[in-house]
Amino acid sequence: MDINLIQEKIENDLAGVVSAQALEDVRVKYLGRKGLVAQLTNSIPALAAEERGAFGKEVNALKSKITALIDEKEKSLKIQDNVFQKSDLDIGMPGISRNLGSRHPITRIIDEICAIFMRMGFSVVEGPEIETEYNNFTGLNIPLEHPSRDAFDTFYLKNPHQSTNDPSTWFDSAHHRSLGAGERPLDVARGRRTTNDRLLLRSHTSPVQVRVMKARKPPLAVIVPGRVYRPDAVDASHSFMFHQVEGLMVDEGIRFSDLKGVLEVFAKAVFGKGLKLRFRPHFFPFTEPSAEMDISCIICGGSGCSVCGRKGWLEILGSGMVHPNVFKQAGYDAKKYSGFAFGMGIERIAMLKYGIDDIRLFFQNDLRFLKQF
Amino acid sequence: MKVTYNWLKDFVDINITPGALADKLTMAGLEVVSLEQRGGDYIFEIEITSNRPDWLSVIGVAREVAAITGKKLQLPKDYGRPTSHVLRPTERAVSILIENKKDCPLYTATVITRVKVAPSPDWLKQRLELLGCRPVNNVVDITNYALFETGQPMHAFDLDKLPAGGIAVRRANNGEKLTILDGQEKTLDGAVLVIAAQDKAKAVAGVMGGKDTEVNGGTKNILLEAAVFDPALIRRSRRQLGLQTESSYRFERGVDAAALDSARRRAVELILGISGGESAPVESRGAGFKKKKIVNLSMAHADKVLGVSITAAEAVKILKMLGFGAKPRAKNNFSVEIPSFRGDVNLEADLIEEIARIHGYNLIPVSLPSFRPNATAAAAADLVWMVKNTLAGQGLNEAITLSLIERGLAECFQVPAGLAVEIQNPLSREQEILRTAITPSLARCVALNLNQKQEYVNIFEVSKVFSLSADKNNPQEQLNLGIALCGERSMFLEGGLVKDKAGLPHLKGLLERLFRKLGVKVYDFRMLGSQEAGVYIGEDKVGFITGLGKKALDYLDIKNKDVFVAEVCLDKILSAAALKIKFRPLSLYPGIKRDISFLIRQGITAKDVLGAVRLKAGPLLEDVRIADYYTGKQVPVGQRSLTVSCFYRSPERTLTDNEVNPLQDAVCALLKERFGAKLR
Repeated sequence: MDINLIQEKIENDLAGVVSAQALEDVRVKYLGRKGLVAQLTNSIPALAAEERGAFGKEVNALKSKITALIDEKEKSLKIQDNVFQKSDLDIGMPGISRNLGSRHPITRIIDEICAIFMRMGFSVVEGPEIETEYNNFTGLNIPLEHPSRDAFDTFYLKNPHQSTNDPSTWFDSAHHRSLGAGERPLDVARGRRTTNDRLLLRSHTSPVQVRVMKARKPPLAVIVPGRVYRPDAVDASHSFMFHQVEGLMVDEGIRFSDLKGVLEVFAKAVFGKGLKLRFRPHFFPFTEPSAEMDISCIICGGSGCSVCGRKGWLEILGSGMVHPNVFKQAGYDAKKYSGFAFGMGIERIAMLKYGIDDIRLFFQNDLRFLKQF
Repeated sequence: MKVTYNWLKDFVDINITPGALADKLTMAGLEVVSLEQRGGDYIFEIEITSNRPDWLSVIGVAREVAAITGKKLQLPKDYGRPTSHVLRPTERAVSILIENKKDCPLYTATVITRVKVAPSPDWLKQRLELLGCRPVNNVVDITNYALFETGQPMHAFDLDKLPAGGIAVRRANNGEKLTILDGQEKTLDGAVLVIAAQDKAKAVAGVMGGKDTEVNGGTKNILLEAAVFDPALIRRSRRQLGLQTESSYRFERGVDAAALDSARRRAVELILGISGGESAPVESRGAGFKKKKIVNLSMAHADKVLGVSITAAEAVKILKMLGFGAKPRAKNNFSVEIPSFRGDVNLEADLIEEIARIHGYNLIPVSLPSFRPNATAAAAADLVWMVKNTLAGQGLNEAITLSLIERGLAECFQVPAGLAVEIQNPLSREQEILRTAITPSLARCVALNLNQKQEYVNIFEVSKVFSLSADKNNPQEQLNLGIALCGERSMFLEGGLVKDKAGLPHLKGLLERLFRKLGVKVYDFRMLGSQEAGVYIGEDKVGFITGLGKKALDYLDIKNKDVFVAEVCLDKILSAAALKIKFRPLSLYPGIKRDISFLIRQGITAKDVLGAVRLKAGPLLEDVRIADYYTGKQVPVGQRSLTVSCFYRSPERTLTDNEVNPLQDAVCALLKERFGAKLR
């Protein structure tokens, strides 16, 4: 067939094409395995040797031309498709989807902190919120009638067997209060528990240290999130219920430098790599040596602002090497094992991290607040 | 506690600026919370930890300043030593009777006669004022001055107003009354220690003196008390009386009995120098000295605990600067004598802290522990995490509400009376009881959000709830999940805006989703009332879903809105969780879908219908579900229209109509016979 004729024919054919399927039919007719172009190519061997070269070139040119024409047509068809859809969809309208909910900012911070420590080999454990005075105080080397208790004002439980006119504190009825899964009861005979073991709402998460050490042997590394309670008058920075995360690592050869290292990993993961840290000597009855950890103020970077009280530092947590008396109470060999413990307030960290200025917002649960997280 | 720069300089040669000193103190554990320049001096406000009563004095802080700046503590030569003033025996000698040595191990009384009470000299007034102490007169001011300088509280009685005879240190009688210096009349009891004369309380020991023996302008002769009281007793007294004084603050932390006489002499010296008068020899009962404490220190232990090597020479230097004595026992081992003012140091760990503190925590390197990981299986915390994410994924917002609530709120939610755990010392009525359920608190959050004009409130909380055991002998706690829904949710669908009003089916759907996610299989919902259903796992009721009653809505002031809540015991649900996933091979063969539409009597539950169909059709029925339901015009009253969609498939072959038709016919027959369905 004549090359020029074919070119004319395809232009006619393409003019009539309005759908992708029709275009595909045209493509097969001309470029298919048995199409017109193929037929021309197949006729080449029959030509005289001197004609072959020129004819071959012409066929190739035709093939390119047809390919280009078909591609062009294909593009124009697509544009028409899009024009067709555009007329119907207002892409400025909200898309169709289901709302996602939110997790509370406190939960988010707890999860974030636990995840960091879990990457370092810690496991998460929890303890009851109703505690004995032993676990909350005595087992942690916090003696009765001692000023170190002033930091831990505590809610006590009322004895349900007393009349309302004569309220009295509820003492633990020694043997039957269970200690939680996997833990053995305290040894009354060894004087670990007295009839003066009053029941209270834990004022810190540290009693879980006592429980974990009673239930397990080293090596252990645990991270303990939970609610704690202190009778504080409520204002923008105080709530009578708040959250803490406690950490404890005990093994042979754990050093103060390890405490610094682990807490540095934590602080930088939560607040950013550029952070500066300092450890200040402090006093906690259940650690010795004890330290408070400050981070360079995340608001002003250390130059001093209202958030850090012009000091350039923010106090983040309390920590220290587990006190030998705590090991002794737990029945651990203080000569063989050493360890560190730390504890921090979650609301404070969430307030710093998210820029929240009133602790009461956490517990009001205004949806305008919750939905921001 | 406050100290001033110049007062510290009385005892140590400071050659750094107040700002630099504040930083050094903070990094040594005496956190300077403010530094203020006033009256040519600088006031340091220091937060003193409760283990360091020795720091509650200028001399104590000066000792620390000396150690951290490498200087020496310089007490004046005659400080705390017998002074040159003449002691005149007096006829006014006072006898001292101590009822119980435990309450009061040491009591001294110094009679000073012919004093001239007048305003203090300006330097003395100024120093007191800088510390926030109001000057009164020279005698009272000197007792305060000596307290701030030495840490030993002292009290001056007007000797002529004390009834003649001796004084007694004893417990107060029940109901005994005393008007104290600030004018308040206090009623005392046996928990309070008093100083009495002729069996009348004249001062609350260690806390505050009495009004009627006050030293004032007319005072001629005084009795200066310097004593040691039982810290726990003083603590109880001042708590009971609701008083906190500079004296009680120091006594309850423990004063240094060994330094008492030196402090007393300092006060006497100042009184004689400023107020004049003559001192009689001291009358003293009890003993101030305790056995010397020796603690062994191994530098090898110190290095092991700290993770840094500190030389023995440095350690000994630090200890000596802090007032400890250190004698070598063996190479790098010392027996350390603890000074009397360091009641907090009893163990080697305490010494190690002292060394590390002065060496500098920031010089201790950073390392990571060579910990032997002790991996434990997934805990409840992981399941709770899954619960929260599943619910948040369905659009719910997590709330955290307070676990302490008022009784009134609990009662209008029909919590069984008397089963709540009560708080003995609530600060307000809002903290009366530990809640037995989460939903009352969540309902209150719903009310708050409705007030904020939220159209749709959907919140949940996972928290402990508390109750008394049946015999009231034990408190119990369990983990619950609460959900609260209220209002209409607006959603865009293709046809436009659709509104979806919250109700019990939504709560059921949320819980079903959760059960499926957790692999809880044998759950059930059973109607218990028109607006309430029980949630069951097996035959165990684990919670309920309900619409709130009028009483609760009225209490929360919610008007014209329905609130729906779910409360389930998460402990029980999580223990039924089966998270193990077993893959089922995918069938390679096509299946056949058959829908059946029929009318059925209201009251027959879809659950029963589906269960019967499943049983009847047998193993080839891969899935059966409700495809549609309808009640309305075309359906007779008391009936509803259901469409059940059955999907048959074999894992082994392509099913034919010949196999499926008899099964579907049997299903239709079953629907007609068992449920009275009319096929459409």
